[in-house]
Amino acid sequence: MEVDRRAFIASLGGVAAVNLMDHEAKAEALEHYMEDKLDEMVAAQQPEKFPTVAEIEAQITTRPYRRGAGSVFTGQRGENVKLIEPMPAKPTLNDFFRLRFAPANHVLQSATRAMKTGMSEEIILACLLHDCVLSLIKPDHGWWGAQLFEPYIPEKSAFAIRYHQTLRFYADDDAGYEYPDQYYRIFGHDYQPPQYIADTYKMLKNHKWYMEPRLVTVNDLYAFDPNAKVSIEPFQDIIGRHFKQPKEGLGYDNSPSAHMWRTLARPDNPL
Amino acid sequence: MVKTLLTGFSLSALLAVVAAGQAASKAQPLPGLDATVTKVEHAASASLRDCPPGTNTVNAVTRPGEQFALVTVAFKVSSTFKAAPMKRPTVTDATDKKYNTASTFVDVGSVPEYSCTFPFRLPEGTKLKSLQIESASLDLSSLDK
Repeated sequence: MEVDRRAFIASLGGVAAVNLMDHEAKAEALEHYMEDKLDEMVAAQQPEKFPTVAEIEAQITTRPYRRGAGSVFTGQRGENVKLIEPMPAKPTLNDFFRLRFAPANHVLQSATRAMKTGMSEEIILACLLHDCVLSLIKPDHGWWGAQLFEPYIPEKSAFAIRYHQTLRFYADDDAGYEYPDQYYRIFGHDYQPPQYIADTYKMLKNHKWYMEPRLVTVNDLYAFDPNAKVSIEPFQDIIGRHFKQPKEGLGYDNSPSAHMWRTLARPDNPL
Repeated sequence: MVKTLLTGFSLSALLAVVAAGQAASKAQPLPGLDATVTKVEHAASASLRDCPPGTNTVNAVTRPGEQFALVTVAFKVSSTFKAAPMKRPTVTDATDKKYNTASTFVDVGSVPEYSCTFPFRLPEGTKLKSLQIESASLDLSSLDK
Protein backbone atom coordinates (compact mmCIF):
# COMPACT_ATOMS: atom_id res chain seq x y z
CA MET A 1 0.00 0.00 0.00
CA GLU A 2 1.29 3.44 -0.91
CA VAL A 3 1.00 6.00 1.87
CA ASP A 4 0.39 9.61 0.96
CA ARG A 5 2.86 11.24 3.35
CA ARG A 6 1.14 14.63 3.27
CA ALA A 7 -2.32 13.17 3.85
CA PHE A 8 -0.99 11.04 6.69
CA ILE A 9 0.70 14.01 8.41
CA ALA A 10 -2.41 16.13 7.89
CA SER A 11 -4.55 13.40 9.48
CA LEU A 12 -2.40 13.69 12.60
CA GLY A 13 -2.84 17.45 12.83
CA GLY A 14 0.13 18.64 10.79
CA VAL A 15 3.91 18.64 11.09
CA ALA A 16 3.94 20.36 14.48
CA ALA A 17 1.70 17.67 15.97
CA VAL A 18 3.83 14.90 14.47
CA ASN A 19 7.01 16.43 15.93
CA LEU A 20 5.52 16.10 19.41
CA MET A 21 5.03 12.33 18.98
CA ASP A 22 7.65 9.75 19.96
CA HIS A 23 8.69 7.00 17.54
CA GLU A 24 6.32 4.44 19.01
CA ALA A 25 3.36 6.78 18.77
CA LYS A 26 4.25 7.61 15.17
CA ALA A 27 4.50 3.91 14.28
CA GLU A 28 1.18 3.21 15.93
CA ALA A 29 -0.45 6.17 14.16
CA LEU A 30 0.92 4.94 10.85
CA GLU A 31 -0.47 1.49 11.45
CA HIS A 32 -3.92 2.87 12.33
CA TYR A 33 -3.81 5.13 9.29
CA MET A 34 -2.94 2.21 7.01
CA GLU A 35 -5.65 0.03 8.52
CA ASP A 36 -8.21 2.76 7.95
CA LYS A 37 -7.09 3.19 4.37
CA LEU A 38 -7.20 -0.54 3.85
CA ASP A 39 -10.75 -0.67 5.19
CA GLU A 40 -11.67 2.09 2.76
CA MET A 41 -10.11 0.18 -0.14
CA VAL A 42 -11.88 -3.03 0.79
CA ALA A 43 -15.18 -1.20 1.25
CA ALA A 44 -14.76 0.40 -2.17
CA GLN A 45 -14.31 -3.03 -3.69
CA GLN A 46 -17.44 -4.54 -2.19
CA PRO A 47 -19.87 -5.04 -5.03
CA GLU A 48 -22.84 -2.69 -4.85
CA LYS A 49 -26.06 -4.43 -3.89
CA PHE A 50 -28.54 -3.76 -6.66
CA PRO A 51 -32.31 -3.97 -6.10
CA THR A 52 -34.46 -6.73 -7.54
CA VAL A 53 -37.36 -6.14 -9.92
CA ALA A 54 -39.74 -6.95 -7.04
CA GLU A 55 -38.06 -4.36 -4.78
CA ILE A 56 -38.40 -1.71 -7.46
CA GLU A 57 -42.05 -2.59 -8.04
CA ALA A 58 -42.67 -2.32 -4.29
CA GLN A 59 -41.71 1.39 -4.52
CA ILE A 60 -44.46 2.26 -7.01
CA THR A 61 -47.09 3.17 -4.44
CA THR A 62 -44.62 5.25 -2.42
CA ARG A 63 -44.61 8.02 -5.03
CA PRO A 64 -47.22 10.64 -5.94
CA TYR A 65 -46.30 10.25 -9.62
CA ARG A 66 -45.43 7.41 -11.97
CA ARG A 67 -41.86 6.85 -13.04
CA GLY A 68 -42.84 7.14 -16.67
CA ALA A 69 -44.06 10.75 -16.40
CA GLY A 70 -42.06 13.17 -18.50
CA SER A 71 -39.82 15.51 -16.54
CA VAL A 72 -41.85 18.62 -17.43
CA PHE A 73 -44.79 17.06 -15.54
CA THR A 74 -43.08 16.30 -12.25
CA GLY A 75 -41.21 18.27 -9.62
CA GLN A 76 -37.53 17.58 -9.19
CA ARG A 77 -36.49 15.65 -6.07
CA GLY A 78 -39.95 15.71 -4.53
CA GLU A 79 -40.45 19.47 -4.94
CA ASN A 80 -43.50 21.09 -6.52
CA VAL A 81 -43.26 21.91 -10.19
CA LYS A 82 -42.14 25.42 -11.13
CA LEU A 83 -43.71 27.96 -13.46
CA ILE A 84 -42.18 27.60 -16.89
CA GLU A 85 -41.46 30.30 -19.40
CA PRO A 86 -43.92 30.35 -22.32
CA MET A 87 -42.58 29.28 -25.68
CA PRO A 88 -42.22 31.85 -28.48
CA ALA A 89 -45.01 31.99 -31.07
CA LYS A 90 -42.95 30.04 -33.62
CA PRO A 91 -40.67 27.90 -31.50
CA THR A 92 -37.51 26.37 -32.89
CA LEU A 93 -35.48 23.38 -31.77
CA ASN A 94 -33.13 25.78 -29.99
CA ASP A 95 -36.09 27.27 -28.12
CA PHE A 96 -37.12 23.82 -26.94
CA PHE A 97 -33.57 23.06 -25.82
CA ARG A 98 -33.50 26.32 -23.86
CA LEU A 99 -37.00 26.24 -22.38
CA ARG A 100 -38.11 22.59 -22.16
CA PHE A 101 -35.18 20.19 -22.50
CA ALA A 102 -32.75 22.20 -20.34
CA PRO A 103 -30.29 21.51 -18.89
CA ALA A 104 -29.99 18.70 -21.46
CA ASN A 105 -26.50 18.04 -20.16
CA HIS A 106 -26.63 14.33 -20.94
CA VAL A 107 -27.59 14.67 -24.60
CA LEU A 108 -25.13 17.53 -25.11
CA GLN A 109 -22.33 15.42 -23.61
CA SER A 110 -23.31 12.49 -25.74
CA ALA A 111 -23.27 14.57 -28.94
CA THR A 112 -20.01 16.25 -27.94
CA ARG A 113 -18.36 12.87 -27.56
CA ALA A 114 -19.77 11.69 -30.89
CA MET A 115 -18.34 14.80 -32.52
CA LYS A 116 -14.92 14.38 -30.89
CA THR A 117 -14.69 10.76 -31.97
CA GLY A 118 -15.42 11.64 -35.58
CA MET A 119 -18.87 10.17 -36.00
CA SER A 120 -21.20 11.07 -38.86
CA GLU A 121 -23.44 14.12 -38.64
CA GLU A 122 -26.52 11.86 -38.60
CA ILE A 123 -25.16 10.10 -35.52
CA ILE A 124 -24.12 13.34 -33.82
CA LEU A 125 -27.64 14.67 -34.39
CA ALA A 126 -29.16 11.42 -33.08
CA CYS A 127 -26.99 11.66 -29.96
CA LEU A 128 -28.06 15.28 -29.49
CA LEU A 129 -31.76 14.36 -29.66
CA HIS A 130 -31.86 10.77 -28.37
CA ASP A 131 -33.25 11.42 -24.87
CA CYS A 132 -34.97 14.81 -25.35
CA VAL A 133 -38.38 13.14 -25.35
CA LEU A 134 -37.86 12.19 -21.68
CA SER A 135 -39.22 15.65 -20.96
CA LEU A 136 -42.52 14.41 -22.41
CA ILE A 137 -42.62 10.71 -21.55
CA LYS A 138 -40.22 8.01 -20.41
CA PRO A 139 -41.50 4.50 -21.25
CA ASP A 140 -40.51 3.43 -24.75
CA HIS A 141 -38.59 6.68 -25.14
CA GLY A 142 -36.79 5.39 -28.22
CA TRP A 143 -40.02 5.02 -30.15
CA TRP A 144 -41.55 8.23 -28.78
CA GLY A 145 -38.35 10.15 -29.44
CA ALA A 146 -38.10 8.94 -33.01
CA GLN A 147 -41.74 9.84 -33.58
CA LEU A 148 -41.23 13.33 -32.17
CA PHE A 149 -38.29 14.12 -34.45
CA GLU A 150 -39.02 11.95 -37.48
CA PRO A 151 -40.68 14.64 -39.64
CA TYR A 152 -37.65 16.90 -39.30
CA ILE A 153 -34.49 14.76 -39.33
CA PRO A 154 -32.66 12.27 -41.59
CA GLU A 155 -34.05 8.74 -41.65
CA LYS A 156 -30.85 7.29 -40.20
CA SER A 157 -30.98 9.66 -37.23
CA ALA A 158 -34.60 8.71 -36.51
CA PHE A 159 -33.70 5.02 -36.81
CA ALA A 160 -30.83 5.51 -34.35
CA ILE A 161 -33.07 7.30 -31.85
CA ARG A 162 -35.86 4.71 -32.12
CA TYR A 163 -33.64 1.70 -31.58
CA HIS A 164 -31.02 2.95 -29.15
CA GLN A 165 -33.54 2.10 -26.41
CA THR A 166 -33.45 -1.57 -27.40
CA LEU A 167 -29.69 -1.82 -27.79
CA ARG A 168 -29.11 -0.28 -24.35
CA PHE A 169 -30.14 -3.67 -22.92
CA TYR A 170 -27.55 -5.66 -24.88
CA ALA A 171 -23.80 -5.41 -24.50
CA ASP A 172 -21.64 -5.31 -27.62
CA ASP A 173 -18.01 -6.00 -26.92
CA ASP A 174 -16.84 -5.20 -30.46
CA ALA A 175 -18.58 -1.84 -30.49
CA GLY A 176 -17.40 -0.94 -26.99
CA TYR A 177 -20.77 -1.03 -25.29
CA GLU A 178 -21.06 -2.47 -21.78
CA TYR A 179 -24.34 -3.11 -19.95
CA PRO A 180 -24.39 -0.22 -17.46
CA ASP A 181 -24.71 -0.66 -13.71
CA GLN A 182 -27.27 2.15 -13.69
CA TYR A 183 -29.67 -0.25 -15.45
CA TYR A 184 -29.35 -2.68 -12.54
CA ARG A 185 -30.41 0.22 -10.30
CA ILE A 186 -33.24 1.43 -12.56
CA PHE A 187 -34.72 -1.91 -13.64
CA GLY A 188 -33.39 -4.40 -11.05
CA HIS A 189 -30.48 -6.79 -11.37
CA ASP A 190 -32.79 -9.66 -12.34
CA TYR A 191 -34.64 -7.69 -15.01
CA GLN A 192 -35.26 -9.35 -18.35
CA PRO A 193 -36.25 -7.08 -21.24
CA PRO A 194 -39.81 -7.78 -22.45
CA GLN A 195 -40.41 -9.91 -25.52
CA TYR A 196 -40.93 -6.97 -27.90
CA ILE A 197 -37.49 -5.64 -26.95
CA ALA A 198 -35.91 -9.07 -27.46
CA ASP A 199 -37.66 -9.35 -30.84
CA THR A 200 -36.52 -5.87 -31.84
CA TYR A 201 -32.95 -6.75 -30.87
CA LYS A 202 -33.12 -9.87 -33.02
CA MET A 203 -34.27 -7.74 -35.97
CA LEU A 204 -31.57 -5.12 -35.37
CA LYS A 205 -28.72 -7.62 -35.21
CA ASN A 206 -29.18 -8.36 -38.89
CA HIS A 207 -30.10 -4.85 -39.97
CA LYS A 208 -27.77 -2.90 -42.27
CA TRP A 209 -28.16 0.12 -40.00
CA TYR A 210 -27.39 -1.76 -36.78
CA MET A 211 -24.44 0.50 -36.01
CA GLU A 212 -26.52 3.70 -36.10
CA PRO A 213 -28.40 3.03 -32.83
CA ARG A 214 -25.40 1.13 -31.47
CA LEU A 215 -23.21 4.24 -31.76
CA VAL A 216 -25.86 6.22 -29.90
CA THR A 217 -25.66 3.69 -27.05
CA VAL A 218 -21.86 3.88 -26.97
CA ASN A 219 -21.97 7.66 -26.57
CA ASP A 220 -24.95 7.37 -24.20
CA LEU A 221 -22.88 5.23 -21.84
CA TYR A 222 -20.13 7.81 -21.53
CA ALA A 223 -22.32 10.89 -21.10
CA PHE A 224 -22.98 10.90 -17.37
CA ASP A 225 -20.15 13.18 -16.31
CA PRO A 226 -21.35 15.71 -13.71
CA ASN A 227 -18.36 17.95 -14.38
CA ALA A 228 -18.49 18.09 -18.17
CA LYS A 229 -18.92 21.57 -19.64
CA VAL A 230 -21.06 21.44 -22.75
CA SER A 231 -23.27 23.70 -24.83
CA ILE A 232 -25.46 23.48 -27.89
CA GLU A 233 -23.37 26.00 -29.82
CA PRO A 234 -20.99 23.47 -31.48
CA PHE A 235 -24.02 21.74 -33.01
CA GLN A 236 -25.68 24.72 -34.67
CA ASP A 237 -24.23 23.92 -38.08
CA ILE A 238 -25.37 20.30 -37.88
CA ILE A 239 -28.84 21.39 -36.75
CA GLY A 240 -28.91 23.91 -39.59
CA ARG A 241 -27.95 21.28 -42.14
CA HIS A 242 -30.10 18.38 -40.92
CA PHE A 243 -33.03 19.66 -38.87
CA LYS A 244 -35.90 20.88 -41.06
CA GLN A 245 -37.17 23.68 -38.90
CA PRO A 246 -40.82 24.39 -39.89
CA LYS A 247 -41.50 28.03 -40.67
CA GLU A 248 -44.74 27.89 -38.64
CA GLY A 249 -42.81 26.79 -35.57
CA LEU A 250 -42.61 23.32 -33.97
CA GLY A 251 -46.12 22.34 -32.98
CA TYR A 252 -47.88 24.44 -35.59
CA ASP A 253 -46.85 22.83 -38.86
CA ASN A 254 -49.49 20.07 -38.87
CA SER A 255 -46.80 17.38 -38.90
CA PRO A 256 -47.62 13.92 -37.43
CA SER A 257 -45.83 14.93 -34.23
CA ALA A 258 -46.99 18.56 -33.97
CA HIS A 259 -49.29 17.70 -31.04
CA MET A 260 -46.31 16.28 -29.11
CA TRP A 261 -44.43 19.57 -29.45
CA ARG A 262 -47.54 21.47 -28.35
CA THR A 263 -47.85 19.23 -25.29
CA LEU A 264 -44.24 20.00 -24.43
CA ALA A 265 -44.88 23.68 -25.01
CA ARG A 266 -47.95 23.77 -22.72
CA PRO A 267 -47.65 20.99 -20.16
CA ASP A 268 -49.99 22.77 -17.70
CA ASN A 269 -53.01 22.50 -20.00
CA PRO A 270 -55.49 20.19 -18.23
CA LEU A 271 -57.00 18.83 -21.46
CA MET B 1 -1.27 -5.18 10.13
CA VAL B 2 -0.12 -8.23 8.20
CA LYS B 3 -3.07 -10.14 9.62
CA THR B 4 -5.43 -7.40 8.48
CA LEU B 5 -3.81 -7.53 5.07
CA LEU B 6 -4.31 -11.24 4.72
CA THR B 7 -7.85 -11.33 6.07
CA GLY B 8 -9.30 -8.11 4.75
CA PHE B 9 -7.62 -7.70 1.41
CA SER B 10 -9.50 -8.87 -1.64
CA LEU B 11 -7.62 -10.68 -4.35
CA SER B 12 -7.79 -7.67 -6.62
CA ALA B 13 -6.22 -5.37 -4.07
CA LEU B 14 -3.53 -7.92 -3.38
CA LEU B 15 -2.77 -8.15 -7.07
CA ALA B 16 -2.52 -4.40 -7.20
CA VAL B 17 0.10 -4.45 -4.47
CA VAL B 18 2.04 -7.13 -6.29
CA ALA B 19 1.75 -5.23 -9.55
CA ALA B 20 3.00 -2.02 -8.04
CA GLY B 21 6.36 -3.61 -7.39
CA GLN B 22 6.93 -4.71 -10.99
CA ALA B 23 8.75 -2.96 -13.79
CA ALA B 24 6.63 -0.75 -16.02
CA SER B 25 6.27 -1.46 -19.73
CA LYS B 26 6.79 1.53 -22.04
CA ALA B 27 6.10 2.28 -25.69
CA GLN B 28 5.26 5.08 -28.10
CA PRO B 29 1.94 4.25 -29.80
CA LEU B 30 2.11 7.39 -31.93
CA PRO B 31 4.89 9.94 -32.45
CA GLY B 32 4.91 12.28 -29.49
CA LEU B 33 2.77 10.05 -27.30
CA ASP B 34 4.52 7.99 -24.61
CA ALA B 35 2.58 5.22 -22.88
CA THR B 36 3.69 3.37 -19.75
CA VAL B 37 1.68 0.57 -18.19
CA THR B 38 1.77 1.21 -14.47
CA LYS B 39 -0.67 -1.28 -13.03
CA VAL B 40 -2.84 -4.30 -13.75
CA GLU B 41 -5.65 -5.07 -11.31
CA HIS B 42 -8.61 -7.39 -11.32
CA ALA B 43 -12.04 -6.35 -10.10
CA ALA B 44 -15.73 -7.22 -10.25
CA SER B 45 -16.72 -3.78 -11.52
CA ALA B 46 -15.12 -1.14 -13.70
CA SER B 47 -15.55 2.57 -14.09
CA LEU B 48 -16.41 3.53 -17.66
CA ARG B 49 -14.40 6.60 -18.49
CA ASP B 50 -12.80 7.82 -21.65
CA CYS B 51 -9.11 8.50 -22.04
CA PRO B 52 -8.07 11.10 -20.90
CA PRO B 53 -10.59 10.41 -18.15
CA GLY B 54 -13.44 12.66 -17.13
CA THR B 55 -15.71 11.90 -14.21
CA ASN B 56 -18.31 9.74 -15.92
CA THR B 57 -20.35 8.01 -13.24
CA VAL B 58 -21.35 4.84 -15.09
CA ASN B 59 -19.77 1.48 -14.21
CA ALA B 60 -19.88 -1.96 -15.75
CA VAL B 61 -20.24 -5.05 -13.61
CA THR B 62 -19.18 -8.62 -14.24
CA ARG B 63 -21.40 -11.63 -14.65
CA PRO B 64 -20.64 -14.92 -12.88
CA GLY B 65 -17.40 -16.43 -14.17
CA GLU B 66 -16.03 -13.11 -15.38
CA GLN B 67 -13.62 -10.51 -14.09
CA PHE B 68 -12.43 -7.15 -15.26
CA ALA B 69 -8.74 -6.64 -15.84
CA LEU B 70 -8.07 -2.96 -15.17
CA VAL B 71 -4.97 -1.88 -17.07
CA THR B 72 -3.67 1.51 -16.02
CA VAL B 73 -1.52 3.40 -18.50
CA ALA B 74 0.29 6.69 -17.93
CA PHE B 75 0.46 8.92 -21.01
CA LYS B 76 2.78 11.81 -21.80
CA VAL B 77 2.02 14.02 -24.76
CA SER B 78 4.88 16.02 -26.27
CA SER B 79 4.72 19.00 -28.60
CA THR B 80 5.44 16.77 -31.60
CA PHE B 81 2.19 14.84 -31.10
CA LYS B 82 -0.33 15.37 -33.87
CA ALA B 83 -3.91 14.75 -32.83
CA ALA B 84 -5.48 11.86 -34.71
CA PRO B 85 -8.33 9.47 -33.98
CA MET B 86 -7.02 6.44 -32.09
CA LYS B 87 -8.51 2.97 -31.98
CA ARG B 88 -9.55 1.49 -28.65
CA PRO B 89 -6.77 -0.52 -27.03
CA THR B 90 -6.92 -4.31 -26.90
CA VAL B 91 -5.23 -6.92 -24.74
CA THR B 92 -4.16 -10.47 -25.48
CA ASP B 93 -3.91 -13.40 -23.10
CA ALA B 94 -1.31 -16.15 -23.04
CA THR B 95 -3.03 -17.91 -25.96
CA ASP B 96 -3.10 -14.68 -28.00
CA LYS B 97 -6.87 -14.37 -27.65
CA LYS B 98 -7.81 -10.74 -28.07
CA TYR B 99 -10.12 -8.78 -25.74
CA ASN B 100 -11.67 -5.35 -26.26
CA THR B 101 -12.29 -2.50 -23.90
CA ALA B 102 -15.24 -0.12 -23.94
CA SER B 103 -12.97 2.83 -23.10
CA THR B 104 -12.20 5.11 -25.99
CA PHE B 105 -9.51 7.68 -26.68
CA VAL B 106 -11.14 11.09 -26.89
CA ASP B 107 -9.08 14.29 -27.29
CA VAL B 108 -5.79 12.51 -26.63
CA GLY B 109 -3.67 15.65 -26.98
CA SER B 110 -5.89 17.85 -24.82
CA VAL B 111 -3.69 17.54 -21.70
CA PRO B 112 0.07 16.93 -21.51
CA GLU B 113 0.05 14.15 -18.93
CA TYR B 114 -2.61 11.80 -17.65
CA SER B 115 -3.37 8.27 -16.61
CA CYS B 116 -6.15 6.06 -17.94
CA THR B 117 -7.53 2.78 -16.66
CA PHE B 118 -8.87 0.53 -19.40
CA PRO B 119 -11.30 -2.21 -18.31
CA PHE B 120 -11.23 -5.53 -20.14
CA ARG B 121 -13.96 -8.11 -19.50
CA LEU B 122 -12.32 -11.55 -19.25
CA PRO B 123 -13.13 -15.08 -18.15
CA GLU B 124 -12.14 -15.45 -14.50
CA GLY B 125 -8.52 -16.47 -14.04
CA THR B 126 -7.32 -15.12 -17.40
CA LYS B 127 -3.78 -13.75 -17.30
CA LEU B 128 -2.80 -11.06 -19.73
CA LYS B 129 0.23 -11.06 -21.97
CA SER B 130 0.19 -7.73 -23.75
CA LEU B 131 -1.62 -4.48 -24.38
CA GLN B 132 -1.93 -3.08 -27.89
CA ILE B 133 -2.33 0.64 -28.45
CA GLU B 134 -2.27 1.44 -32.15
CA SER B 135 0.86 -0.32 -33.47
CA ALA B 136 2.61 -0.47 -30.08
CA SER B 137 2.60 -3.56 -27.92
CA LEU B 138 3.25 -3.27 -24.20
CA ASP B 139 4.13 -6.23 -22.03
CA LEU B 140 1.66 -7.06 -19.27
CA SER B 141 2.90 -10.49 -18.23
CA SER B 142 5.23 -9.12 -15.56
CA LEU B 143 2.44 -6.97 -14.08
CA ASP B 144 -0.47 -9.42 -14.27
CA LYS B 145 0.55 -11.99 -11.68
